[in-house]
Order: sequence, then C-alpha cells, then structure tokens
Amino acid sequence: MREFQYFARNLYWYSATILTAGLFAALWLIQETAFAAAALGITFLSFVSNRALTRRVEKASEQKRHLDQQLIQSQKLAAIGELSSGIAHEINNPLAIIGQETEWIWHLLKKDSLPSPEADQELRGSLQEIVRQVDRCKEITHKLLDFARKKEPLIQKADLNKLIEDMARLVEKEATQNKIRIVRDYQQDLPRVETDPPLLRQVVLNLLNNAAHAVEKDGTITISTQESANNTVELVFRDTGCGISKEHLDKIFDPFFTTKPTGKGTGLGLSISHGIITRLGGRISVVSEVGKGATFTIELPVKPLRGEP
Amino acid sequence: MPSSAKVLIVDDEERFRITLRKLLTANGLETNAVGSGREAIEELKQQPYDVILLDVKMPEMDGIEALAELKKISKNVEVIILTGHASVDVAVEIMRLGGYEYLLKPCPMDELLAKIESAYERKTARDERLRKAEATPTNPSS
Amino acid sequence: MIVDDELDFLETIVKRLKRRKVDATGIDSGTKALELLEQEHFDVVILDVRMPGMDGIETLKEMKKKRPLLEVIMLTGHASIESGMQGMQYGAFDYVMKPADIDDLLEKIQGAYERKALHEEKVRETKVI
Repeated sequence: MREFQYFARNLYWYSATILTAGLFAALWLIQETAFAAAALGITFLSFVSNRALTRRVEKASEQKRHLDQQLIQSQKLAAIGELSSGIAHEINNPLAIIGQETEWIWHLLKKDSLPSPEADQELRGSLQEIVRQVDRCKEITHKLLDFARKKEPLIQKADLNKLIEDMARLVEKEATQNKIRIVRDYQQDLPRVETDPPLLRQVVLNLLNNAAHAVEKDGTITISTQESANNTVELVFRDTGCGISKEHLDKIFDPFFTTKPTGKGTGLGLSISHGIITRLGGRISVVSEVGKGATFTIELPVKPLRGEP
Repeated sequence: MPSSAKVLIVDDEERFRITLRKLLTANGLETNAVGSGREAIEELKQQPYDVILLDVKMPEMDGIEALAELKKISKNVEVIILTGHASVDVAVEIMRLGGYEYLLKPCPMDELLAKIESAYERKTARDERLRKAEATPTNPSS
Repeated sequence: MIVDDELDFLETIVKRLKRRKVDATGIDSGTKALELLEQEHFDVVILDVRMPGMDGIETLKEMKKKRPLLEVIMLTGHASIESGMQGMQYGAFDYVMKPADIDDLLEKIQGAYERKALHEEKVRETKVI
C-alpha cells in the first residue's frame, strides 16, 4: 500500500514536471523566450520541491511508524506490568498466611516438649491451612499458565444449541437448589458453527457460573441463541443478578479483576474466556447496570477464516 | 515487652487476622481483629487502641483512606501499614497522613513485634505530652 | 475405555456400546485405567468424576500427561459446576450426565474421536516441517 502511495505521489509530480517541460519546449519553438524561461523556471522548481516534499513525507511516515511501535511496546509493557502486579498480589496473600502459620507452629513447639491436646489441634489446624494456601497458589499459577498458553483452537463443526444445553444441564442441578431458573430460548435451525467445542464449553461454563454467583438465590438465567447478519451466530447470557457497576464494566475482562471476596476466585475466568472467543474469531461483550443484572453476548462467525490468530 | 499495648488488626483475609491475633496475644498484647476499614473505624469509636495494624489493599475502603479516617477519630493512635509492595509514593503518603511506618507482608514476627513496641513507645510519649499540656492551666483571654 | 466404579452401570454401558459396534473396555478404577493405558491403545476415555481412591479429575490429569492426544469425556452423576469447570480446564472434551443417553454418548464419542484425529494430523504436519 505504501509503495503505491509513493508511486502515485511521484507520478503526480513527474507528470507535472513533464507537462511544464513540454510547455517550455512548445513556447521555445514559438520563440516566446520570456515564457520559455518562465516555463523552465517552473520545471526546475517543481523538480526541487518534488524531491523536498517527498523526502519530508517519507520522514514523517518513518517517524509515525516509530511512534506506533513505541506505543504498542509501551502498551505491552503496561499490560505486563499490570498482570505482574496482579499475580504478585494474588500469590502474596497466601504466602503471608503460610509465613504466619509457620510462626505459630514454631511458637507452639517452643512451649512444650510434647504439645498438649489443644496445642496439637492448633498444630494440625495450622498445617491444614498451609496446605490450603499452597493449593490456592497452585490454582493461581495453573490458571495463569492456562491463560498464557493460548491453546490453538482445533476447529470442528458444532451444534451450539446442544453444546450450551449440555453445559446448562451441568449447572442446573446446583442452580435449582438455590431457586435459580435457567430459561432456554434457542433458535431452532441454528447453523452448525465451525469452532473449538471444548474451548467454547469452558467459556459457556464460565459465563453460567458467573451468572449463578451474581444471582445467588431466586432469579433467572436466560440463554438465547440466534443467527444474525454477516454469517454470525449470537449467544446471549442474561441474568437477574446484582449487575456490574460502570467503573467495573471497563475492567471486567482484565486478568485478576474480581469482585469476589479475597481468596474466592482468581479473577481469570472472564479474561480467559475473552481470549478464547477472540481466538475463535468472535467477540464477547457485556451490558449491565447495578441492580438490573447483566447480559453477556458472544458473537461467533459460522465459518471463521482459517489461520485466524 | 510492654504488655499493656492494645492492638487492633485490620485485614480482609480471615485466616491471616485470626492467626496474627493468636501470635500477638501469645506475646502478651491485648489484641482484636476486624475485617475492613469501616469496621475498624467503628471499633476505634467504641474503644481506644494504641497501635493499629492496617492492611493496605482491601476491598471497599483501601488502607490509605482508612488511615486518614482513623487518625481523625484518634489523633495519637499509631497506625502501621502492612503492604505487599513498597513504593516511595505510598510511603510518603503514609507519612503525610500521620501513619507510623509500613511493613512488608509477609513479615517475620520479631520484626513486627519490634515495630509495635516502638510505635507504642511513641504513642505513650505523645499521650504524656498531651496530658501535661491539658493539666497546665491556660490563661483565659478575657 | 470406560472408567467407573459402579459395576452395574459399567457393564450396561460396555454392552450397549458393543452392540453399537464400539470397541469398548470397562475398568473400575482410575489406577487400573492408567495401567491399562500403558499396555493398550485407546482413542476415547469415558471417565466417571466420583470414584474412591483416585478420583476422576486426578485420573484425567494423569491421563492427559501420559497420552496428551487422548480425548476424555467426563461422566457425572452429581453435576457440580465446580467439577465441570475443573474438568474442562484440565482438558476434558465434554461432560455427560448420568443416566447417560446412549445416542447422546455415541455422538460425543464421535466428536471426541474426530477431534483426536484432527489433533494427530496437526501434530504430523508440524513434525514434517
């Protein structure tokens, strides 16, 4: 594209120059010396300005390319910085607890050569807590590796209504215990979609799980599917839960962002889901207001372009 | 170890504050624990504390905000901030708001105990000065 | 391979699958299943989530370590969101709820088998390069 622009720009100037030169030659022939001199002057000037102009445009493009690259790089670094601090904080809390439990264990062991039954209970409790916190760290690192690994999608044709229904049934048993209804509104003749079924199942489960958490008790989760323009399929997950505030909406797909109390949930679910949907050539978006529930929409192409990143 | 120091732990991780409370109590300190900045403010209104251990990152109200509020309630209470990360900006902010110091989490017990002790010393010194100032009769400007 | 500690269920499923011309083998524990994997070749494993000893998720993890291209379908009677998410996270292909509808199961086995083939092809392609 750039070469063409370069070529087109030059073409303009060269033709202007040639025309002027032609005019000069014609005038010379008619022996209008003054006009001839003027035409020659114009020709000379246009050459010079052409070179100068083209050089300046090139330099500007070069600078813009540099700036673009720097911007992308600094955005990447900022993203990495945010991610790293998220990780550090998530891991630091369990570490602090582990450190403290070991201090307590030391303390208990200092007092008696043989721990009293109460001290024995305490010791066991502390050790159990350490195991729990180590597991918590393990979950975080595993989810992180999962997040970073970026599994390449393996494309198969899938019946999305069935795929979603399977996951809905998995969620339903627990949901009904909390009086949460799951309503289905599937488009009957939904076209089969070329996608990665297990990856998509992960996303669907994640959204259903979040919806169930948001509703807590006595509410509804509505799942609907429909075909929409441009050979796309829309999957909509609506819940009557607590909703998401405006400030949180911007960050909802960020890694480690979570509104759950400390220690519950790593905050990676939605960011992993977002990554998966992007890799499947689709889009995921959310609309929500506090107190009015949330609606997550997934758009997927029926036939994604092969070699999609 | 001046065992009369009264300490309040403020941290959103339940297990953390439970075990810390056990450890501090075992070292002779009268200790209570709450799970949020708001609860800490309510608690401080109810009874006096000498030293408050305040976690900097908590949902709803963060540590720095809580520090400002707590100092309003009790000017002399010493607040030690517990943070997973140290930065110059945060340190300056803590000083500005009247915090005692910050400590990095995870923190070894002996370091924590030493800090609590020196904070308590500063508080008792300030309390003394305040008491003396109040005891001195002031000349009414009539 | 079908792995489930409920022997009645195991026998029934193996019989039904065999009737539908599926080469099926039943195993009643996770540890035995892993041993068998070393000796025989399998394309798809249907794995119960709740088993005494080595549970479904543990077995899934071990299986994926040994035979990364093996496709696993989790079988669950209790349908917990948590185990569902865990299973998918650790690489399960799909979930089936008990009691299992045989046609549904067959469809899923078909999908899992297809996926394995695609995966193997991909591996072959990258090896050639």
